Amino acid sequence: MCGILAVLGCADASLARRSRVIELSRRLRHRGPDWSGIHCFEDCYLAHQRLAIMDPTSGDQPLYNEDKTIVVTVNGEIYNHEELRGKLKSHKFSTGSDCEVIAHLYEEYGEDFVDMLDGMFSFVLLDTRDKSFIVARDAIGITPLYMGWGLDGSIWFASEMKALSDDCERFVSFLPGHLYSSKNGGLRRWYNPPWYSERIPSTPYDPLVLREAFEKAVVKRLMTDVPFGVLLSGGLDSSLVAAVASRHLAGTKAARQWGSQLHTFCIGLKGSPDLRAAREVADYLGTLHHEFHFTVQEGIDALEEVIYHIETYDVTTIRASTPMFLMSRKIKSLGVKMVLSGEGSDEIFGGYLYFHKAPNKEEFHEETCRKIKALHLYDCLRANKSTSAWGLEARVPFLDKSFINIAMEIDPDWKMIRPDLGRIEKWVLRNAFDDEQNPFLPKHILYRQKEQFSDGVGYSWIDGLKDHANEHVSDAMLMNASFVYPENTPTTKEAYYYRTIFEKFFPKNAARLTVPGGPSVACSTAKAVEWDASWSKNLDPSGRAALGVHEAAYEGPAGPTPAPEDSSSPINGLPQIQPGLVAGTTVS
Amino acid sequence: MCGILAVLCCSDDSQAKRVRVLELSRRLKHRGPDWSGLAQHGDCFLSHQRLAIIDPASGDQPLFNGDGSIIVTVNGEIYNHEELRKSLPSHKFRTGSDCDVIAHLYEEHGENFIDMLDGIFSFVLLDKRNNTFLAARDAIGVTPLYIGWGLDGSVWISSEMKGLNDDCEHFEAFPPGRWYNPPWFSETIPSVPYDPLVLRKAFEDAVIKRLMTDVPFGVLLSGGLDSSLVASVTARHLAGSKAAEQWGTQLHSFCVGLEGSPDLKAAKEVSEYLGTVHHEFHFTTYDVTSIRASTPMFLMSRKIKSLGVKMVISGEGSDEIFGGYLYFHKAPNKEEFHRETCRKIKALHQYDCLRANKATSAWGLEARVPFLDKEFINTAMSIDPEWKMIKPELRRMEKWVLRKAFDDEENPYLPKHILYRQKEQFSDGVGYSWIDGLKAHAAEHVTDRMMLNAKKIYPHNTPTTKEGYYYRMIFERFFPQNSARLTVPGGPSVACSTAAAMSWDAQWSSNPDPSGRAALGVHLSAYEAKKAAAPLAAGTGPEDIINNKKARMVEVAAAPAVAIST
Repeated sequence: MCGILAVLGCADASLARRSRVIELSRRLRHRGPDWSGIHCFEDCYLAHQRLAIMDPTSGDQPLYNEDKTIVVTVNGEIYNHEELRGKLKSHKFSTGSDCEVIAHLYEEYGEDFVDMLDGMFSFVLLDTRDKSFIVARDAIGITPLYMGWGLDGSIWFASEMKALSDDCERFVSFLPGHLYSSKNGGLRRWYNPPWYSERIPSTPYDPLVLREAFEKAVVKRLMTDVPFGVLLSGGLDSSLVAAVASRHLAGTKAARQWGSQLHTFCIGLKGSPDLRAAREVADYLGTLHHEFHFTVQEGIDALEEVIYHIETYDVTTIRASTPMFLMSRKIKSLGVKMVLSGEGSDEIFGGYLYFHKAPNKEEFHEETCRKIKALHLYDCLRANKSTSAWGLEARVPFLDKSFINIAMEIDPDWKMIRPDLGRIEKWVLRNAFDDEQNPFLPKHILYRQKEQFSDGVGYSWIDGLKDHANEHVSDAMLMNASFVYPENTPTTKEAYYYRTIFEKFFPKNAARLTVPGGPSVACSTAKAVEWDASWSKNLDPSGRAALGVHEAAYEGPAGPTPAPEDSSSPINGLPQIQPGLVAGTTVS
Repeated sequence: MCGILAVLCCSDDSQAKRVRVLELSRRLKHRGPDWSGLAQHGDCFLSHQRLAIIDPASGDQPLFNGDGSIIVTVNGEIYNHEELRKSLPSHKFRTGSDCDVIAHLYEEHGENFIDMLDGIFSFVLLDKRNNTFLAARDAIGVTPLYIGWGLDGSVWISSEMKGLNDDCEHFEAFPPGRWYNPPWFSETIPSVPYDPLVLRKAFEDAVIKRLMTDVPFGVLLSGGLDSSLVASVTARHLAGSKAAEQWGTQLHSFCVGLEGSPDLKAAKEVSEYLGTVHHEFHFTTYDVTSIRASTPMFLMSRKIKSLGVKMVISGEGSDEIFGGYLYFHKAPNKEEFHRETCRKIKALHQYDCLRANKATSAWGLEARVPFLDKEFINTAMSIDPEWKMIKPELRRMEKWVLRKAFDDEENPYLPKHILYRQKEQFSDGVGYSWIDGLKAHAAEHVTDRMMLNAKKIYPHNTPTTKEGYYYRMIFERFFPQNSARLTVPGGPSVACSTAAAMSWDAQWSSNPDPSGRAALGVHLSAYEAKKAAAPLAAGTGPEDIINNKKARMVEVAAAPAVAIST
């Protein structure tokens, strides 16, 4: 990942302004520790902090077209850049950077080239010929982007809020899948896949089609000139990423440069479920596995920094970000600059435990659509900013455009959780990789039930956070919470604690409005809270509340129902999850 | 390098204080990007930001003795740690970190163990048994350290000023080597005759012990004498080392410069001779003024780090020990010469050590400086300074004793013309337009009127040039406290001389330019005159080199003279 900052039309071309832009750009240096650059054109500034993954020697930014009339600052990876270069035969490229195609595509096609890009990206492109500019963010919002307005009439764009929050009168998250054009003066959506309308698809499930789509998504993400690895929690999603990556690594250019043995990484409190599960998968796949341990105290000491980096006060995001943030530092210290990660699968396949309560396939499908659209506020934000805090890039194959299209075309009846048919959550994905002859994963891992990230690192992590917050937030403070924080009022001491830290770094009203709120149970959208009347009374944001529901839902029917052997045993593996239930009481 | 911050006896053990210490410690994160740690004992906090060079897997800090009663946070490398471990057979070590020995040595010997450490270090050690603490800094001040005092009675110790300047009422640089008492320190004139092989051996030993690493490393190679010797000796001894087993036997070398600069050319030549994997980085004056980078070394460090290299060996210190600066040509006698070298070494922590350490640490890169090895300094500073004097009539140019020591006919360390090439000041070598560019930039943004009022605005260490004024403005913005400006040395100087050496030439005091060029002018004219009067029998060695340099120097001398007069 890189960090971009652009200030356009600020009616000030002085050295003082230039220095200010450079200073603000430095606030994004963690995202791009390798080099920085700035391009000034009259009162427009395009700044860049670079993490060099492709062509480290020549790809410094900003980038240009041939005659340098078009300038572009990009945070991203364009996986199909070679193919796109092939289409631009008459163009001369001056670097090996995958992002250089953007300037040339604009020159060739004007504004309508964005959907040709396969990858993740945020960019600001300035056309100096008529001083117009366009800005775009990738389909799902894997890369972060904010947009702000100054009192001097300037428009600002930055990878993270911290670069523009002090100088803009108002700012918002730049919507993913959108394009801003100064010529049309507005924001429009360039991403328009079939699933976006939320109509119910009817394509029958074909396991091999799904498998192939995912393998392709992983393989194209092996494009790198630097050492890389896979984040492996031992759950289904990360295990599949690791299995596919290690299977296809041999023969790639990456393997020639960095060896054909895959590095995998896992973090947890000592003795945590994730560490054990990941070790098992790593042993099975024969990866070079690195285990990192952290203590609850270390996690608590990192909270301020985590919140500063990920720019949210959302409780589940902070709980899950902290271990990822700590792990990223350790990974980076080994010289690794890029990791593949498993985000997005739960949204696409309805993997969260509350999906057990989806009343019908229509509701199920619409909820998955809503979840994917909200990813940029939650898991994408977490994965990108936790890793970028240490100059590590996270790539997410489940959020590949083609893969999403294929997965979201499947008749959602197949995705429904049907204990009667032996289908646990994400069954379509598990089944797609259930290859008897050449197994991707051992069966018991392939059909292991979901562990929420924050629980997996160790049960005492969330309890430790709650205890710490209880110690430092008094009842009186919480009582007055609605007066102190009228928007998105924190309802628990933990939320209150995070909120005070967030407000310290980002005191403006616009900042708190970039963070989503509203009722939710175990990561559900507000709409899905309606699925169970009892949920609205107990809005614990963690997975545990729904686990309770889940357990209750199964204790009855799951016992007598003769579930097929593959899938039933993992469900019975519930004892693992039970210790966490104790904590549910704190909420009430 | 790592970053340390200790807050001791602040009468506040609250969560708020802990959070504050964590926040301040993060200001040193660039020094230690790999991990961080904080140990709290009542109202004492010892924090650490780690750059993992030795034992990356287990050496996280703070470190403890066997029973955890002694806590230590260290920034440094202890080259003789294995030997010291052996001297402590009854102790059980928790990690493989080289710094682990410090807590154990204290437990065994009390406060008087510091001279046993061979390396570079700054540390704070807390003895929980009686709530006392101990802080120390290495002999020369290769690692930086500051000490401050809070109004609450607290004592603060930090690797960089920015870790404590906002919270201390007063602070200053922690003096290096308070425990250090070598023969040369008294500045008495030594009389040991020069033995080239002894000097060579001492330097080789100094380089070899600095090859201790578990991560990728390289050498900074400007193509000048000092860095070329470092590269040559490293390349020669890399083969059988543990470092080579892990990272290969081919040495990486790095050079920075404006395109076409003398350093780039010289370094390339040396790297080809030595067969290193050479990396060249180019920058433009435009880049530099825009990034406001203080030194080319700062820019280069970022590029080096981006290649995955975490440690470099560098040539600082040689000019001080051997009187390599051009103004030494004017040393009136060997006594003055020697005392000036002593003064220069003692001041290193304020100049080249500070620059080398902080410019690299800004990007989590560690710089090691073999010329500042304790043993090597002792050997080099016990030589009768008569040998170090610059004597054109004996064809002894500056640093002749060092050059001669590596002039091996059978198995040459460097080609002769490089071994006897004359000094190029670092900032000049990166490209002649670099300093001119900086001056022009400053002249554009500092008006004559600002200069007129400089004395009123900055009564202490008043800037006398627009460039000085420009840097000062930036410094004051980050470090507004009076204590901060007092940590920076001032006073008259010509081409890096101490104030005392200003008396060597009456002309100098009328033109105090801090760059090497003023003295270069002197140097040139000194030689031009002599050569015209009595052409020396210019042999194969140094004389040729001096001739080669001439054309280049004339070119430089013209431009800045104008800038200075403004």
